[in-house]
Amino acid sequence: MIGSDNILIKSGTVFESSSGKEIVSDILIQNGIIRAIEKNINVEGISKDLVVLNCQNYFVFPGFVDMHVHLREPGNEEEEDIGSGSRAAVRGGITSIACMPNTNPPVDREYLVNYILSKSRLIDFKIYPVAAMSKNLEGKKMTEIGLLKEAGAIAFSDDGKCIQDSKLMYEIMKYASHFDLPLILHEEDYSFSNYGLAHEGYYSAKLGLDGISPFAEELMISRDIMLAKMAGAKIHITHVSSKGSITLIKRAKEAGIKITCDVTPHHLYFNDSFLESYDTNLKVNPPIRSEEDRKALVSAISEGIIDAIASDHAPHFEAEKNTTFKDAANGTIGLETLFKASYTKLVREEKIKLSKLVALLTTGPAKILNIKAPAIKVGNKADIAIIDLEKNKKIKKEDFCSKSKNSAFIGQNLYSEVVYTINNGRLEFINKSC
Amino acid sequence: MLSTKNIISIDDLSIDDINLIMENADSFYEVLGREFKKVPTLRGKTIINLFFESSTRTRTSFEIAAKRLSADMINFSASTSSLKKGESIIDTLKTIQSMMIDLLIMRHSDSGVMNFIAGNIDVPLINAGDGKHQHPTQALLDLYTIKKSFKDFKGLKVAIAGDILNSRVARSDIKLFKRMGMDVTIVSAPMLLPENLEYFDSNYVYDIDKIIEDIDILYMLRMQFERQDRKYYPSIKEYNRFLSLNMERLKKMKRGSLIMHAGPVIRGIEISENVMNYAENYSGFKINTQVTNGVAVRMALIYLMLGST
Ligand SMILES: [Zn+2]
Ligand SMILES: [Zn+2]
Repeated sequence: MIGSDNILIKSGTVFESSSGKEIVSDILIQNGIIRAIEKNINVEGISKDLVVLNCQNYFVFPGFVDMHVHLREPGNEEEEDIGSGSRAAVRGGITSIACMPNTNPPVDREYLVNYILSKSRLIDFKIYPVAAMSKNLEGKKMTEIGLLKEAGAIAFSDDGKCIQDSKLMYEIMKYASHFDLPLILHEEDYSFSNYGLAHEGYYSAKLGLDGISPFAEELMISRDIMLAKMAGAKIHITHVSSKGSITLIKRAKEAGIKITCDVTPHHLYFNDSFLESYDTNLKVNPPIRSEEDRKALVSAISEGIIDAIASDHAPHFEAEKNTTFKDAANGTIGLETLFKASYTKLVREEKIKLSKLVALLTTGPAKILNIKAPAIKVGNKADIAIIDLEKNKKIKKEDFCSKSKNSAFIGQNLYSEVVYTINNGRLEFINKSC
Repeated sequence: MLSTKNIISIDDLSIDDINLIMENADSFYEVLGREFKKVPTLRGKTIINLFFESSTRTRTSFEIAAKRLSADMINFSASTSSLKKGESIIDTLKTIQSMMIDLLIMRHSDSGVMNFIAGNIDVPLINAGDGKHQHPTQALLDLYTIKKSFKDFKGLKVAIAGDILNSRVARSDIKLFKRMGMDVTIVSAPMLLPENLEYFDSNYVYDIDKIIEDIDILYMLRMQFERQDRKYYPSIKEYNRFLSLNMERLKKMKRGSLIMHAGPVIRGIEISENVMNYAENYSGFKINTQVTNGVAVRMALIYLMLGST
């Protein structure tokens, strides 16, 4: 069954991309291409090797796009590699990812973009490389933005770091605007985040953890809004974490600045009270913030201020997390929980429309990155996630197929389970426990 | 018996636990006054004193307490320089687990490390200070010191002066003092305080002169100017003007009021040279008494954790 590109999806609740409606329908896929979306498709006479997936109780979505992923290849393949990362993605119903350049060496030269793209073709999984804005991510000298674009970079970012030199940032913005590529900005003023380990608030005071003020993020967002306005650049603020940031982005959007933003499922799901256990899997950057901030992120989704949800999948091997909170590395894995965590929090708890969530995981990020959004449409190559929305399971460390197991969601009860994933026209994942 | 297996935070102890510790401390304090200062209570028990951060005072206090109870005490000063801290902790844990000890007393420079350790081993644990988080035995010995000078905790006016932000002593003491009904005022400055003061639930003034005449207890915290993450305080001169104890202020203090400090005092910063020299003549000066009481309180605690079975 795995690997087949002749598939009949039987009686699933389909999210049809052209109409945006949910309809119970069959979908016929032949040679990887969606041939028909109709009720009761007659398959008589169609090739014998047709795989039939009974999906009466499942939802059929376009494959998701995760625009913020750390694949760790090249350089840290013991934590994750392009192969293992893409398997984790498929398991999460994701069929396209954009990968961040903070590998070792960082993706700051053409050959590294080529390397990622060739691997992507080899494993037949859509990986869109994001290249560094500054050489070696040092925030000192601009990379060859034009050449990197020609090599196939679809965006630029120094993610994990933030360029503190405002003039350099301005020059990058002006130059990048020629090529019409977005700059994905990790916003952090180091003078406000130095030594910091947790959101500065009640819990950092209680737990004796040095605080990271939301100013660290908000000051840099303010700066970059001003610079983008002058430079006419397209900026995307990634992993927005605070209420103040939302206000700034909202105003900038209203003022006509070309600004978009994403949030992570962990910032939508947790607040800083979860740090009482000093669980190092919750040590992330930007930090998990207060309940007030979390609520502001959720409201921003309802109001349409947020353009995408992205995982910031950040694998770390055991020793980097199995230590004191101060010594632990920042980051949580997130590919396999991207949909689950967002769905549980937003749709189940906060009563946000399912169609809204799906847009934030498909058309939203695709538009930011200027790539074709996976859509369930006749004539398209099939990128499809089939999901049981009623399943509820406690997340366990051993259930992850990512090479690293550092998930913030371990121990949480999350709704939904990906049952099948069709990637690039082929059935690539079957969940045997469903 | 105490209601908790580990003492990581002062909040781990119930009011009954605290009262029990105070009562037992009285008995052990009496032992310390004897010519033969040892009781056989914990013969055959093994305690490890595991210090990842140098501290003569607290380490020695625990050591004396254990020895007075006739327990075997092993000092284990783990070096953090050569190895990455995290790795050395995991290795040390494995060693400890295989040694069949009865109690682990530990200090480390990272907040929350005790929660991590307690989640990984079965041995009862006393936190002898973790980063900027908690130092519960300091709070207990401070409470005991106060108890010996006042009839009742309720309504006592305590001022805690200095670097609250980076102080585990402040976190443990303020919580405990508030729980016992004392009225706590923080004397500090914005750069020495957390942005959010809600957790401390205390009054706040920036000038020691505003409260010096009213308080029953002045508790001074250590101010380490040399630490990089504390660079925002302008100068020692500024500190002396607003936050230090000098002769003039000492004279304004109420009769019978106490001066406390977790030690070691940095002369000329928290407390002026003059006051330090005069201290012996002033009965309210409790810094040395705190040290003696520390041994009695730690004996009580160790006894209650190991001896009553
Ligand atoms: Zn980032
Ligand atoms: Zn990232």
